[in-house]
Amino acid sequence: MEEYPEEYRTPPVSLVSLVGCAEHQAVISRHLLAEQPPINTLALPDLSNFLLLLAQKDSSKPPQASGILRRDWLIKHRTRIPSVVAALFSSDQVSGDPTQWLQVCSDLDNLKAVLRPRNIKLVVVVIFQSSSKDDINEDRYLALRKRAEVDTKYLLNFNPNDDTELKQSLTRLGSTFAELASTYYREEGRRIKTRIEKKSYSSIDFNIRYCFKVAVFAEFRRDWVEALRSYEDAYHTVREMIGTSTRLPPIQRLVEIKTVAEQLHFKISTLLLHGGKVKEAVIWFNQHNASYRKLVGAPEVIFLHWEWMSRQFLVFAELLETSSVSVPGISSLVSGTADGALTEWQFHPSYYYQLAAHYLKEKRLSLELTLSMSETAIETDSSAESVVPSVYVGQFVRLLEQGDAVQPLTDEEYTRFAIAEGKRYQDTFEIIALLKKSCESYGNLKPRRMGSYCGLQMAAEYFAVGDFSNAKQLFDEVASQYRQEGWVTLLWEVVGYLRECSRKSGSVKDFIEYSLEMAALPVLSGTDPQGFKECGPAGPPSLSQREIIHKEVFQLVSGEAGSASAEDNNDIKINGDNPLHLEIDLVSPLRLVLLASVAFHEQIIKPGVSTSITLSLLSQLPLNVEIDQLEVQFNQSKCNFIIVNAQRPPLAATTEDQEGHRVESAPSLTLATNKWLRLTYDIKSEQSGRLECISVIAKMGPHFTICCRAECPASMEDLPLWKFEERVETFPTKDPALAFSGQKATHVEEPDPLVDLNIGASGPALAEESFIVPVTVVSRGHDIYSGELKINIVDVRGGGLFSPRETEPSAIESHHVELLGVVGPEGEDESQLNSDEIKKIQQSFGLVSVPFLKNGDSWSCKLEIKWHRPKPVMLFVSLGYSPHSNESTAQKVNVHKSLQIEGKTAVEISHRFMLPFRREPLLLTRIKPAPESEKLPSLPSNETSLLIISARNCTEVPLQLLSMSVDNEDGDSERSCSVQHGGEDNLGPALLVPGEEFKKVFTIIPLVDSSKLNLGTVCLRWRRNDHSGSTITETWVLTKHKLPEVELEVSPLVVSLECPPYAIIGEPFTYLVKIQNQTPLLQEIKFSLADAQSFVLSGSHSDTFFVLPKSQHALSYKVVPLASGSQQLPKVTVTSVRYSAGFQASSTASTVFVFPSKPEFKMGDAGETTRMQSIASE
Amino acid sequence: MIVCVAVVGHQNNPLYIQSFTEEDDALKLHHIVHCSLDVVDERVNNPKKSGPTLNETFLGLLYPTENYKVYGYLTNTKVKFILVTTDLDVRDADVRNFFRRFHAAYVDAVSNPFHVPGKKITSKTFAERVSTIVKSFGLSSAG
Repeated sequence: MEEYPEEYRTPPVSLVSLVGCAEHQAVISRHLLAEQPPINTLALPDLSNFLLLLAQKDSSKPPQASGILRRDWLIKHRTRIPSVVAALFSSDQVSGDPTQWLQVCSDLDNLKAVLRPRNIKLVVVVIFQSSSKDDINEDRYLALRKRAEVDTKYLLNFNPNDDTELKQSLTRLGSTFAELASTYYREEGRRIKTRIEKKSYSSIDFNIRYCFKVAVFAEFRRDWVEALRSYEDAYHTVREMIGTSTRLPPIQRLVEIKTVAEQLHFKISTLLLHGGKVKEAVIWFNQHNASYRKLVGAPEVIFLHWEWMSRQFLVFAELLETSSVSVPGISSLVSGTADGALTEWQFHPSYYYQLAAHYLKEKRLSLELTLSMSETAIETDSSAESVVPSVYVGQFVRLLEQGDAVQPLTDEEYTRFAIAEGKRYQDTFEIIALLKKSCESYGNLKPRRMGSYCGLQMAAEYFAVGDFSNAKQLFDEVASQYRQEGWVTLLWEVVGYLRECSRKSGSVKDFIEYSLEMAALPVLSGTDPQGFKECGPAGPPSLSQREIIHKEVFQLVSGEAGSASAEDNNDIKINGDNPLHLEIDLVSPLRLVLLASVAFHEQIIKPGVSTSITLSLLSQLPLNVEIDQLEVQFNQSKCNFIIVNAQRPPLAATTEDQEGHRVESAPSLTLATNKWLRLTYDIKSEQSGRLECISVIAKMGPHFTICCRAECPASMEDLPLWKFEERVETFPTKDPALAFSGQKATHVEEPDPLVDLNIGASGPALAEESFIVPVTVVSRGHDIYSGELKINIVDVRGGGLFSPRETEPSAIESHHVELLGVVGPEGEDESQLNSDEIKKIQQSFGLVSVPFLKNGDSWSCKLEIKWHRPKPVMLFVSLGYSPHSNESTAQKVNVHKSLQIEGKTAVEISHRFMLPFRREPLLLTRIKPAPESEKLPSLPSNETSLLIISARNCTEVPLQLLSMSVDNEDGDSERSCSVQHGGEDNLGPALLVPGEEFKKVFTIIPLVDSSKLNLGTVCLRWRRNDHSGSTITETWVLTKHKLPEVELEVSPLVVSLECPPYAIIGEPFTYLVKIQNQTPLLQEIKFSLADAQSFVLSGSHSDTFFVLPKSQHALSYKVVPLASGSQQLPKVTVTSVRYSAGFQASSTASTVFVFPSKPEFKMGDAGETTRMQSIASE
Repeated sequence: MIVCVAVVGHQNNPLYIQSFTEEDDALKLHHIVHCSLDVVDERVNNPKKSGPTLNETFLGLLYPTENYKVYGYLTNTKVKFILVTTDLDVRDADVRNFFRRFHAAYVDAVSNPFHVPGKKITSKTFAERVSTIVKSFGLSSAG
């Protein structure tokens, strides 16, 4: 677009001229320019300048038309010929002395003389120098108007002295100028139009010129419709001129026509686009394009045509681009095209840029052709120097030496000139610039493929001019696009270019890579190579071409003096100084060249046990490839091994740099096209953990290696590009199952431990006891270095392992089972252990280090665990050690053992309160328990009660009891009661077999007069009755049992039965029932006595009597037993009326033993009663 | 005259591409077919632009190059058919008819039990049938 002059690219602006009074012109012209629409001002200080300006024009007016459009006509009207001339006079001049007035008159006359033939409008402006207005009289005004021959309204006053006045004056001036300018342009337009209508022109050239002028004048008036119509008329007329005009030689004629058409088309397109009529503009452009595309012209200047075409597209693209901001949106436009003749891209500048580049390429092509054909013309082109554009658009003339004279050119001369001009341009860069624009603007729209195509063309241009780095970058982008979508033929072309780029720039690695990729592309013989002549440097895609490339690469690689390096320049060679190493990963395009699949036959292997590994290689290269050596690399570098091709002499390098790696030999390492090369070898690893094959390095030739990332057959992706081809697909391994499940990694297990770990717990643990668990480590084949014993105690019912960190803050109470300590083997002191060995003991976790053990040695320790509550736990013991003294290997072997240990309560302590025999105090709370009171047992105060404590062995082992006592826990000296026991505390020790119960009787005498009584705690000392020797060290276990508090209450009545301890048949005895009233009240008592079979009695059976306060009443019966044995005395029921409480003696209390005759007793030294109390009951 | 027909798979990979031209511009035709996929994408991804042609297999004129016109057709398995012709005024009906027959031929070709879906169509029968269809293109309207 920039090649068009400014006046064509912008809409024309009216031009007025100001003459005289230079000091005010600036204000006026500024105001006019700011008007809407703006008016340009041609400010001339003096009349003489103006006359000179217009006079110039007349001289150069040509006598007859020898062209269509004059080059300078438009600029003349835009800059030199005003539509209105304003003559400025100061009021002093007008009203001044006669000489001044005469001067004014003569100026006006001169002006009129110049203006009249051109029909330029005149305005007279009188400028007031002072604020007073009336210093010009009416007569002068009239005279001035007459002299100037203007209408009254075109004689204006201009008052610059006052702001408001100035503003008014300016507005007035502006509107007047606009009106007159419009009139002028309309009249001019109409004048020329009438010429067209009357067909009063001598040649068709004038017709076009007139149409053009009408259009321009319409544009001055901003009458776009009229302008467009006139331009279109002109355009169509130009089109008709082809073949009819004979004014110029044919080549130049066509050039002129095309140039004019181009200009008109540009104007039309601009108007259409600025009017928002994008669709019309596109259609118009298509028509323009269609009608001129075929007008190629003379064969020697075809390039001019292509250049012209290219320019059309470029200009239209630029126009579209600049106007596209105002376009509402392409999509809405497209949907409106009902005929479907327009598509999306036609509304987008990138499309036009692309085509502009396309035509420019055509131009370059034909120019080169022309140049090669007319070698001679080039030498004599010095004559073209004096050729210049003529005054007519699209014409060139020779400038003669003398003066301004010009001479028309012949076609031959013109051709030479055009060729010389054409040679000066750097078409390639122009093309690249165009394509870049297209590519960028496609890029915004995201049609990647169009962009790729542009990129490809761009890169090809760079390639052509030898800018290989730019070319390579673009080609690479394009290639990745084609690779992705599998467009093999397109990829072939691009990679072919890339290959040449790298060859030319001497990059060996790239060259080999691209060559290999090309050789492995799925281009099959089926493709017809005839149609692909323009495939760039790679030649047409075909199998034979692939083979050629393949051979070339492998010649180069094998170190033979490759033909490629010989014929071409330079650096492409591979030798000892320039070894070549290629990496192929999972996304590399070179996967086609070499694909390595590695499968372990087993997923888990034992250390030191060998397993099979299958290595499969696949290549799509067209010819067989001989591999010299394969190196298989693992993450455990000790497992790496090398496979040597037995058919090749061993490479000198291998023996040196591979230290200690296994070397296998394969009978043949030849890769055939699309056929797996399967190699199976044994492999073993000593190191546990993951064993993964990382890569396979193939060595082909002395200095060329390809490192191929190993892939799992199970998760291998299809080969890119080849996956769309029909080809025989086979499994990488012989075993199809392995092909589906094979992995390139395997897991090596830990070595089997050769150590016994024993936990020797004997039976269940007892609560409160320090339970000893012996742990023995016996080495059976391994030496134990840096052994560590980890101990964990875990709740059986879940809860997980208590990690050491978690247990720290928690309180002891939360641990029902606690690891107290670890005792080393006998003779080893704990303090000694602490000094140099690791030992960490926490409540549920322990860590003990095991000293070095030789093979066959053993070591043991004892875990001391205390159960606070009966609870089953799981004890985990694990030993980690290394079988070798070398610590750095860190190859630890672990042995785990676990044991569930039950925790049980050892003794169950229970207690019972009893009252003295045959003495029953009335306890009111027992009769009527208050609902709110706790269930505390109540004891009568002031009475002696009995407490029987029994301890039962709940375990399955016999226990030894040392002592049982009731202690005051609180330790205060004052006791609220006395708890006494008749016998000694020390039991000496007593044996308690499982299930047996031990009882001890205490008497309780409350000492204080309070309602609550704290009895204290039962302390029982016991231990296992273990027969082993170690019992001596075992300590006594103290089990405590807190006795409940008891309530004391005063009993109002106490009933006691009195009878002898035994009776003899037939001998009467007295049976007394004593009722003691402890209240200060009179108590009414009812009683009744039931008869008993075995007794005869005397006394009242039932009665009611009163017991005086604080006194005792006794019911006395004489009883004679009739039967021997244990007999039930007659049952007495005593009822207190006041408390409505009845008493009946229990059957034991009312039983007496009746001897048949008087027994003989041998009295021992110990009291009978004492014995009865202290011996354990039956 | 039809100069090129192509079947493009749903990953935009070429399944079958055949040019019917004497000149050496097969590669250029490949480029044209490849570029036209952009327009297909555009039309498929912005169905509102194509408005009434929603759910229609025939995509119409994809884009005009200087010497060719490119038409597209999209099957419901996202396989695209592309037609490149040098005729400047082509009737839509002819193109539709062509694509219908081409589609039938394609369906027959991929119904072959030995054809693996997604792979290139190498059937000779298909190629022959396609060239017959190509040769008969436009004759119905002319005759």
